[in-house]
Amino acid sequence: MPWISILILIPLVTALVLAFLPARERRTARGVALTGSFLALAASIVVFALFDRDLAVLQQVDHLDWIPAAGVSWDVGVDGISIWLLLLTTVVFVLGVILACQRLPQQRGTIFLSLIMLAEAGLLGLFTAGDLVLFYVFWEFMLIPFALLIWNWGGSDRRSAGMVFVVYTMVGSLLMLVAIVATGIIAMDHTGQLSFLIRDLVAVPFDEGTATLLLAGFLLAFAIKIPLWPFHGWLPRVYSQAPIVVTILLAAVMSKAGVYGLLRVGIPVFPEGVGNLLIPVAILALVGIAYGALLAWRAPTMRLLVGYSSVAHLGFIVLGIIVIDRMAAQGAVLQMINHGIVAAAAFVIVLILARGTGTEDIDRLGGLAKGAPRLAVAFLFVTMAALALPGSNAFVGEFFILGGVFDQYAWMAVIAMVGVIFAAVYMLRMYQGTMNGPPRGVQDEGHAAEMTGRDAIVLVPLILMMVWIAVWPGSIVEPTRASTDLAVAPAQIALERPPDQIGVLRDMASADEVQRP
Amino acid sequence: MNAGAALTLYVMSAATVLALVLAVVPLPAAWRRLPEWVGCIGIVATLAIAVVQWGDRQVAFAGELHIDRFSLLLTWIILPAALAVILFSWGEPAAAGRRAEFVGLVLAAATGMMLTVMSGDLITLFIGIELLSVALYVLCAIEVARARSLESGIKYLITGSIGTAILIYGFALLYGVTGTTSLDGVTARLATIDGMASDPLLIAAIVLIVVALGFKASAVPFHMWTPDVYQGAPTPVTAFMGTGTKAAAMGAFLLLFTGATQQVSGDWRALIGALAVVTMVVGNVGALMQQNVKRMLAWSSIAQAGYLLIGVAVGTTAGAEALIYYLFAYVAMTLAAFAIVILREREVESGDTLGAFTGFGRARPWAGVVMTITLLGLAGFPPLAGFIGKFLLFGSAVDAGMSWLAIVGALASVVSVVYYLRVVIVMWSQAPDGQRTARRVRVPASVAAVAVAGAAAIIALAIWAQPMLDLCADAARALTIP
Repeated sequence: MPWISILILIPLVTALVLAFLPARERRTARGVALTGSFLALAASIVVFALFDRDLAVLQQVDHLDWIPAAGVSWDVGVDGISIWLLLLTTVVFVLGVILACQRLPQQRGTIFLSLIMLAEAGLLGLFTAGDLVLFYVFWEFMLIPFALLIWNWGGSDRRSAGMVFVVYTMVGSLLMLVAIVATGIIAMDHTGQLSFLIRDLVAVPFDEGTATLLLAGFLLAFAIKIPLWPFHGWLPRVYSQAPIVVTILLAAVMSKAGVYGLLRVGIPVFPEGVGNLLIPVAILALVGIAYGALLAWRAPTMRLLVGYSSVAHLGFIVLGIIVIDRMAAQGAVLQMINHGIVAAAAFVIVLILARGTGTEDIDRLGGLAKGAPRLAVAFLFVTMAALALPGSNAFVGEFFILGGVFDQYAWMAVIAMVGVIFAAVYMLRMYQGTMNGPPRGVQDEGHAAEMTGRDAIVLVPLILMMVWIAVWPGSIVEPTRASTDLAVAPAQIALERPPDQIGVLRDMASADEVQRP
Repeated sequence: MNAGAALTLYVMSAATVLALVLAVVPLPAAWRRLPEWVGCIGIVATLAIAVVQWGDRQVAFAGELHIDRFSLLLTWIILPAALAVILFSWGEPAAAGRRAEFVGLVLAAATGMMLTVMSGDLITLFIGIELLSVALYVLCAIEVARARSLESGIKYLITGSIGTAILIYGFALLYGVTGTTSLDGVTARLATIDGMASDPLLIAAIVLIVVALGFKASAVPFHMWTPDVYQGAPTPVTAFMGTGTKAAAMGAFLLLFTGATQQVSGDWRALIGALAVVTMVVGNVGALMQQNVKRMLAWSSIAQAGYLLIGVAVGTTAGAEALIYYLFAYVAMTLAAFAIVILREREVESGDTLGAFTGFGRARPWAGVVMTITLLGLAGFPPLAGFIGKFLLFGSAVDAGMSWLAIVGALASVVSVVYYLRVVIVMWSQAPDGQRTARRVRVPASVAAVAVAGAAAIIALAIWAQPMLDLCADAARALTIP
């Protein structure tokens, strides 16, 4: 069974069904959307069950020629880097649909749900695309539903926020399209035929100058989507104007598109260019870590605080990928999942607080812990995870990244540590500002902000996942190992790193030892 | 001599004459739709012949006409556009008194477009362009009671005549250099004479021809007439100018450059490339400023001419293939977009302004969906046909070592996203209370059919891109291999 194609088609078909439902059928729409999102979750679990963790290359590939003359095909599969992202996407979208159903917009709720499912299809396609053109197709495809969600259901400044989002993204992505076209055509000299399959392109040697230019083209698109400092200008407007359910999806899942592209496409296809861009990108990531933390520290609203903290966290992930180190890359993959879960949980808490108190301003709230003790516990838990307290899930990821970075460039690790410290400052500011101190902004000590059973349906699974990763991080890291080793190996060779650091070579050496006696 | 090969032109000419005769014959009221039927049947019959004729080159009238895969494929673009225009004006109140003239002129213009792309000789090419231009001058001014329509006709007449004069001058110089008016003869002469490439006379001829065709294709800096003429002309005519004329002009570009003067491509590649760059930049930035949707579409058609010119500038068959594919996509998208504009125009006063589209998508969801698909396609969003066309055009540019064209094209596309999506946003936003009571006329089925067919074509061209590209590749090869 072509499970991966089915996985992409389920949300797509659900979206179409929802689009053709009459606007009155809100009950039916809820049922359809929930069914669709749960079916997608089930399909992703099937993909996970069939996943062979020893294989480094793309597996369960569904290949269908689309435009052979232009080397374009429907080619989807899964590898160690994408397998958890698929599960993260389907899980977060199930929770997102539940949230959307709980507070379905009065105006055209069926279309709202339809667009959410369309976005899910786009993201799942992006995380599974094995063909660069298909990768681009999904990269742009997901933009439309998100933009329409912001335009139609966003805050007061939604129109300009949506336009900023689209234009920012398109500047990067259309230059990426040119880079994709150029890659395919330059590679044609080597492979003899036009092909945009990533697994074909990985084998193509580019000269250093070309690889640097092409990688730079891809990097611009990735940097804007991530967003990497200084390309984050769209983030505060979009995160604060989007409906909060959409903000959750953007922060938890869509923000992974850029870092995934970097590790899955950028580094493996253009290892020759990594040497020239390593230090500049690492510096941008480091600035992002510090700058995001500072902005989060002074952010006026909870939503912006979590948004800016994403800039810092994603800076960490970029740093983990760009230093080209096995351990750091594995940490980066783990941290993608961690950040997805923690950011989703943090925004759900913002949503609950905003619903109970009518405001997202940190300074207008305070002392809610007394009236909302259950929420306070959950909030504290999420806070600890977000600031990467030892013993939390994010701690493991950051530890991996910092360890790997320290091995390669100790000074970067020192600077990045500052970001870890600042995370404690801004996350505790948000928790203390809203939960502790004298009650503010509420009448009955904050009972209205208490977590209800309906909120728990969304929040508890996220917290359970955090506990799982904190207790047993190996279960996440281990299936990603083979693919991340393979992804960074060409760049490690190009950078002339010692052979014992290169995972693929080491495995081959140990295989030799096994055979020798 | 194989005069039978030009059967398509005979049928079209007969339908044209019949329609024009009907203009002077008093028709009984029950037969008042007869001219439209004549037009539709004529076009469908011609299209059927063009499909059956698909095959290797047939020559008619001693090489004056080339009926080959290239000209037939472009005929497949021109005829549906003409059919759509007749369907647009089906029962339109404004054209009520002049139905037969309208249909006859549309058929005449379409015949001119077909003649242009079928020509195997500079003279035939010129006659084709003249025929389509003259018919369109009158069509622009056909709403004689409306000042803007007349103004549009006059403006188009004046600028069009200048373009024609320059074109014939260029042809004269080309004849002076090569001593022949046959396109095949030009190719053969250029191949045999050494040192021809830097001949100033030849370069002058090329520059003049590029300028003249630039007028017809509304490429910058010869685009000044386009926004005014497009806005003033009756909307169905505007749609025809945006699609049919563009296809014919691009066909002429391909015939003369990628085809006939391929040998001296070093002389014109950079020139047409520069034209493409300026057209993409100015067209997109100009569209950004517009508050009138028809005017915006006029500017967008300028910008789209810039993308199309990439396919000429690269001078390769891959470029021609990409150009023809993009022409199909562009014509489908433009016709669908104009269909929606026509619907809105019939529904409210000054329905072509951006403000008039507020809430249109909510009022008529199917029209909103069609317009959204169309505008996303024009902006080049994947996986729609507009994206595949741009992808192929950019690919041909990179392949030909002209990556700068692709980069400018990509950046210009970013600008285009803003004005295309602005219409989408406006369409799906809440209508102000006053407009909700605007009169709602019954949707004319013919216009709706074109809109839906256009949107379906945008998706179908993307799904079945490969078979379509095979056809385009055959057509592009027919340009260089007789």
